[in-house]
Amino acid sequence: MTAADAARAAAILAGLGGVENIEEIDPCTTRLRSLVKDPTLVDVAALRAAGAYGVMTTGRVVQVVVGPQVDTIASDLADLM
Amino acid sequence: MAATTQAKAPKGGHKYQAVRAYLADLIVSELAVGDAVPSERVLTEKFGVSRMTVRQALDALVADGVLQREQGRGTFVAPQHTDFEMRLTTFGEEARRRGMVPGTQVLESGTTPAGRLVAEALGCGEDELMHYVERLRFADGTPMGVERAWVPVHLAPDLLDDGVPDSLYDALKVRGHAPTWGEDTILAAEATAKELALLAMNGGRAVLRAHRRTFSDDGACMYSQMCYRGDRYSVVVPLREARPTIVPRVQPDADDTADGADG
Repeated sequence: MTAADAARAAAILAGLGGVENIEEIDPCTTRLRSLVKDPTLVDVAALRAAGAYGVMTTGRVVQVVVGPQVDTIASDLADLM
Repeated sequence: MAATTQAKAPKGGHKYQAVRAYLADLIVSELAVGDAVPSERVLTEKFGVSRMTVRQALDALVADGVLQREQGRGTFVAPQHTDFEMRLTTFGEEARRRGMVPGTQVLESGTTPAGRLVAEALGCGEDELMHYVERLRFADGTPMGVERAWVPVHLAPDLLDDGVPDSLYDALKVRGHAPTWGEDTILAAEATAKELALLAMNGGRAVLRAHRRTFSDDGACMYSQMCYRGDRYSVVVPLREARPTIVPRVQPDADDTADGADG
């Protein structure tokens, strides 16, 4: 992974409230579907700044639209978690 | 009408399934699109079943889209559904790849502020100016869908200078915003009166709506809404195994001990 990729994954993780707030992340074709413990800790603006094209929240499920880079981001996230 | 021989019901199957299987075979082997299927009376006699059983078989094939009923006229072989794959392609490309000749009729084109819906989809301001194009799309001369598309003016100021380009994707590509990915949201709906008329639908009103956000490497470059006629259009969605779920390695509050990471 490149440093920029790792930084992006770290920013997304922080935007989701950090690793402590994550129950699981399900990588889809263009989205990261995340189940978080506390949705109030999710920072939409920070996720946008990290490169998300959209953030949809339903209850404790937060979908972060990241596009086809989802594979790279998912493996970087796995390393960080 | 050669309805003298009685067809046999398959072992263990319902009687209506025999009628249905017979009709399905007839449609494939002997009948062409638009041909009438044998009447309820003929089928009743041929299979020695009740009219209700025959209707059940016909209903099933109508529900499958293989047959269509026309009020007061009878039941006919329906035109085949065209199975489009949801890919980042234009309508023209998809039609051509299926051996059909695409056609387009521009209904409207111009410049308009994004408005709430489009602004939300593209992540821009509501006042941002958009090129707006509304087109009727044909395949082999049959109207298949109504397309509405919005492209930010600042991305391609001269997009519509020479009329509406055949392919908006190609036009964006030429201007350095090649579409690379997107997301479709698909909804079942009923056609509006306007869509019904444009699509010349004379059976049901069911349509399929596909709302798409298209992205190039530098961000959202187009929002579009396709309305496909439900009687002629089906969607193929390629599926693959889901990627493993990512779970934090150490669960800080490890109240359920062992099964935290089953992915």
